[in-house]
Amino acid sequence: MNLDLTLSYDLSPGWLAPYIDGLRAGRAVGARCRTCAKVSFPPLRTCPCGGRETTWADLPGTATLHYRSTGSDGDFALVAFDGAAALCVARLDGFGPKDRLGIITAATGPRPGLCLRPVKEPVP
Amino acid sequence: MVAISGAALTAFGRRRDGSSFRDWARQAFDAALAMSGLEPADIDLLVVASESDFFTLQLNSASVIAGDLGLTGAATMRVEGGGASGQLAVHAGVARIMAGLAQHVAVVGVDPSASALPGDTMRDLYGFSFDAWTDGMTGASSSMLYALSWQDFAARHGATEADLAAVTMQNRQNACANPGAHLPRSHNAAEIAASPMIASPYRRLHCSPLSDGAAAVILSRPDALPQARQAAPRITGIGASSDYAHLGARPHPGDFSAKTRAMTRALDMAGIAAREIGLAEVYDAYAGAQLQGIAALGIAPDWQRELHAGAFDIDGRCPVNLSGGLMGQGAPVGATGVGQTATCALLLEGRYHAGLQPRRSPDHALADTHGGIATSCAVTILSQRAGA
Repeated sequence: MNLDLTLSYDLSPGWLAPYIDGLRAGRAVGARCRTCAKVSFPPLRTCPCGGRETTWADLPGTATLHYRSTGSDGDFALVAFDGAAALCVARLDGFGPKDRLGIITAATGPRPGLCLRPVKEPVP
Repeated sequence: MVAISGAALTAFGRRRDGSSFRDWARQAFDAALAMSGLEPADIDLLVVASESDFFTLQLNSASVIAGDLGLTGAATMRVEGGGASGQLAVHAGVARIMAGLAQHVAVVGVDPSASALPGDTMRDLYGFSFDAWTDGMTGASSSMLYALSWQDFAARHGATEADLAAVTMQNRQNACANPGAHLPRSHNAAEIAASPMIASPYRRLHCSPLSDGAAAVILSRPDALPQARQAAPRITGIGASSDYAHLGARPHPGDFSAKTRAMTRALDMAGIAAREIGLAEVYDAYAGAQLQGIAALGIAPDWQRELHAGAFDIDGRCPVNLSGGLMGQGAPVGATGVGQTATCALLLEGRYHAGLQPRRSPDHALADTHGGIATSCAVTILSQRAGA
């Protein structure tokens, strides 16, 4: 039996709406814990410290690559966003082999994914 | 403590014979039930492990499979925890027996992971088995996330591509003696290094395949065992734990910390130390994941030296993935954890494939499974009856 099944989802982002809206606008919006003041990005609804109350916080949007993997799906990295307490996974767009710094770029298309474009290394 | 009165697996692979997941479930169940010496009417509960309705296109699959197995009237449930579904289903059955709510439980894991949908569709679906709104929306595949996790582990633990090659060669070589294996192959390091890059450093030969298949175990209260099965191996410890779904939120994205917690809980329940585990089926979705798993489980604190010294070989201190693991035997997701438990039980009883049966029969075995990048972790410790 060959069966083509097309599913058209209309998914609501719920509490993640500010984060998703930020990605579409090219802004990094994280969650600042009211207990320990650390910012999670992507946002965690409950902070690793146990704090359950957060406020939204704009980050500069710049990030440093820690680990990078390239393959049939594209170019990705675990990166540290400036101002964020932990790493996150991002798609890389236009990075050369030696590029290590990036800045968030507005998500396009139906999937609001986190994407970085390269920026020049700061002058030491 | 719960006995494993019956255990069986179908062949894993890409089925092109017109059979369906319902046929495979029946085949595995019938073989396990025959081993147990029980009848369908003895089964109080059927637990089905299946990862996704997208694969089977059958919601509430447990009730349908119950009818196929002659278990209509028994209680039914389905357990889903990504790649850990099968092991979590075993845990559900164990808990039901230990609570005194059942005497005999059938646990059947099944998935048509290879044949039902195109590979690209499966890859898209697996992208949603992580946090779909964060890591998933980036378009990163399972391979990509595992590769990034491995890089963190390798950087902090000094792991190398030679370690990945050793795991790949050993698991596929073990699969050569498993007549039910999906990928019974002999590889050398040069072939591995020349295979296509999937997500650096992972190449195609470092990856497990998508497979079709089923596995079943019959769990029994020891005092309800048929006479002929009094010596059946026991499940002496179960443990499960979870981690942050998106990789970067973890303090060390390469550490399988939830696996460590799950193992600690299982060891506490079994009353043994990790070094007493004498064989293990470890979740090797990718070659590196096996090593990250061994490190997290604590079964070989000096894992890198032991890997290359043969400790995980068939006659080593703690044989790992004698079945071939996911990389060699294959990975029909819902069947994986059930199949690992069945394999450990058969090995403890000396009833496994002749070429893979260790000369020395261990007292304790470990079945280790996870979903996500070790996000949902579940381990089961099996012991010989004498040691239980």
